[in-house]
Amino acid sequence: MNAVEIRDLTVKAGSATLVSDVTLNIESGTWCTIVGPNGAGKTTLVETVAGLRRIAKGSIAISGHSLSSLHERERARLVSLVPQHPEVPSGMTVRDYVSLGRVAYHGLLRAPSAGDRRIVETVLERLSLLEFCDRDVVTLSGGERQRMVLGRALAQSTMVIVLDEPITGLDLRHQMEILELLKTEVQECGLTVVATLHDLTLAGQFADRLVLLDKGNVVLDGAAREVVRSPELSERYGMNLRVVDVDGSDVVVPVRH
Amino acid sequence: MAKPPTRRRMAIVATLTVAGLVVAMVCGMVVGPTSIGTWRVIGDVFSHVGIGHSTLSGLQSTIIWQLRAPRMVLGLLAGAMLSVAGGTYQGVFRNPLADPYLLGVAAGAGLGATFAIVGAGTGVATPTWTPLLAFLGAMVAVSCTWLIGGRGMRSNASTLILAGVAVSALLTSMQTFLQQQSSSNSIARVYIWLLGSLASANWHSVTMVLPYVALCTLICVASGRALDVMSVGEDESRSLGIRVRQVRFVVIAASSLGTAAIVSAVGLIGFVGIIVPHIVRLLVGTSYRRILPISVAFGAMFLVFADTIARTVMAPSELPLGVVTAVIGAPVFVLILSLRRPVVR
Repeated sequence: MNAVEIRDLTVKAGSATLVSDVTLNIESGTWCTIVGPNGAGKTTLVETVAGLRRIAKGSIAISGHSLSSLHERERARLVSLVPQHPEVPSGMTVRDYVSLGRVAYHGLLRAPSAGDRRIVETVLERLSLLEFCDRDVVTLSGGERQRMVLGRALAQSTMVIVLDEPITGLDLRHQMEILELLKTEVQECGLTVVATLHDLTLAGQFADRLVLLDKGNVVLDGAAREVVRSPELSERYGMNLRVVDVDGSDVVVPVRH
Repeated sequence: MAKPPTRRRMAIVATLTVAGLVVAMVCGMVVGPTSIGTWRVIGDVFSHVGIGHSTLSGLQSTIIWQLRAPRMVLGLLAGAMLSVAGGTYQGVFRNPLADPYLLGVAAGAGLGATFAIVGAGTGVATPTWTPLLAFLGAMVAVSCTWLIGGRGMRSNASTLILAGVAVSALLTSMQTFLQQQSSSNSIARVYIWLLGSLASANWHSVTMVLPYVALCTLICVASGRALDVMSVGEDESRSLGIRVRQVRFVVIAASSLGTAAIVSAVGLIGFVGIIVPHIVRLLVGTSYRRILPISVAFGAMFLVFADTIARTVMAPSELPLGVVTAVIGAPVFVLILSLRRPVVR
C-alpha cells in the first residue's frame, strides 16, 4: 500500500514554478530520500507533502486521504514534520515541547489526556530523552535538540514523517545517531520516511529509495544504490562524483577536476 | 538559563497575587480623603451579603458604594483587560514590545475622543458621547489595520504590525490637526483624557464595559495553549494541526475589543499592558497558560494600587494614572529584570 501518492504535482511561488509535474508513490514502511542540488525544489516538495504549501496543480494523498480535503488536525494525525531549522522556544521544558505533538489529538482547549501523556513518556524513553525531560529546551546540545524535535514528530503518532535536512549542523556521531533512530522506527514501527538530505553517502546508506530532483523535476527515481551509482548524479550536481565501496557500503566522494 | 518554574512556585505566585488583589481591593475601598475605618468598611461589605450589620452613616455608605466601589471595580476590569490583552499580543506577535495599543486602538480611540471633545466646543466637562466615539474610533482603527495588513486572514504577524504603525501614525496626525484647530481649553481636556483616569467611574460605566471585558478576558485566557503551540512559529504550528490564521484572528479580535471597551471608559492608561505580562513572565516562566491567568489578577491588583496612589498622593487633586503606573511599574520591572532575564517567545 502507498503511504504517499503524489500525482502531477506542481507548486508555484508567484510566477516561478518550484516543483513541476512530479509523480511519486511512496510505499508504506519505506524510507524515501529526495536529493538534488540547491534550488532543486527538495524543501518545497517535502513542505507540500507536509501540507504547508499551496498546490498549484495535481494532488497529494496521505494514506489514501487527499491532502487538500483534510482539516489541519486530521492532516497532523497523518503526517508530521521535522523542519530544517526548527524554532526552539526558550523557557519550555523538553517534555512540554514533545507534548506539542499531541495537540492534534486533545485540541487547544483541553489538557493532554492520560493516553497522550503515556505516548509522550514512551517517545521520551525511546529517544533517551527522559534524563533531561524537565530541562529548558535551549540548554540542550545540537544533537539532543534534534532528537527532541524528532520526538515531537513521533509523538504525533503519524504513519508518515517528513524531514527536511534533519542532520544539518550536527557532528558525524549525532548525524548517524538521528538517522539510526529513524531507521529503527521504519523497521520496528512501519513508519514511512520522506526526507531531504545533502549528504549523498548517508542518503544512500539509509534510504530504500532515492529520488533525484533538479529544477523542480524528477530526474532519477530508484533504489538507493542505483541512483548513487548513476552518472546522472555527477551531471546534475555539476561536478565529478566517485562512488567508493567501503565494506559493502557506497561512499560518494567529490573529486577535484 | 533559569530552570522552568515548578508547580510549587506557580502555586506560591498565584496565592500571593490573589492575596495582593484582595489587599488592593480593600485599599481601593478604604483609602481616600474621607477617613472611614477599615473594619467598618469590611463590616459594611459583609452586611450587604447578610452577615452582621453596617455601622456606616448614609454619607459614608454613599462614598463607599457610589464613588470608591465603582472606581475600584473599573480599575480591576481595566487592569485585568489591558494586562491580559498585552500578554496575548506579545504571544500572538511573538514580540516583547507588543502592547494592547499595537494595532491602532490608542490612536483610533484618541481621535474619537478628540473629535468628541473638540466638537463640543468650550465647556468644562468631557462630553458624554466621548466613550462611544473613542470605542468606535478604536474599532475602526483595528479593522483598518486588519484589512490593510495583508487583507485579513492571509496576513502574517509582521505585516499586521507594520499596518498598525501606519494606521496609528495617520490617525495620530489627524488627532494632532484637530487639537491644533481647537481652543486651549479643549486641548487640556483631550490631554487629560489621553493620560487616562478612573475619576469618572460609576456603576453605569462598569456595567457598560463588563460584558466586553468578561468575554474577551475569557477568550484571551483560553488562548494560552494556542499561544504556547504558536511559539514554535507559524509553519511548525500548522504542521502540528493549528489553524494559525484563524486563531490569530480570534485572539486579536478579543484583545482589541476588550481594550477598546476599556479605553472608551478610562482613556489611555499606558504601561500596564506591556509591563504586567513581562513581570508575570519573570515570575512564572514563559508558558502563556500560566502568564495569561496570572496577568489578569496581577494587572487588576496593579491598577487598583496605582489608582489608590493617584487619587491620594496629591489629594484633593489627582495624579494622571498613566504617570503612576509608569513610576511604580518601571522600578519594579527593573528590579525583577536585574534578578532574572526575561524570555519572550
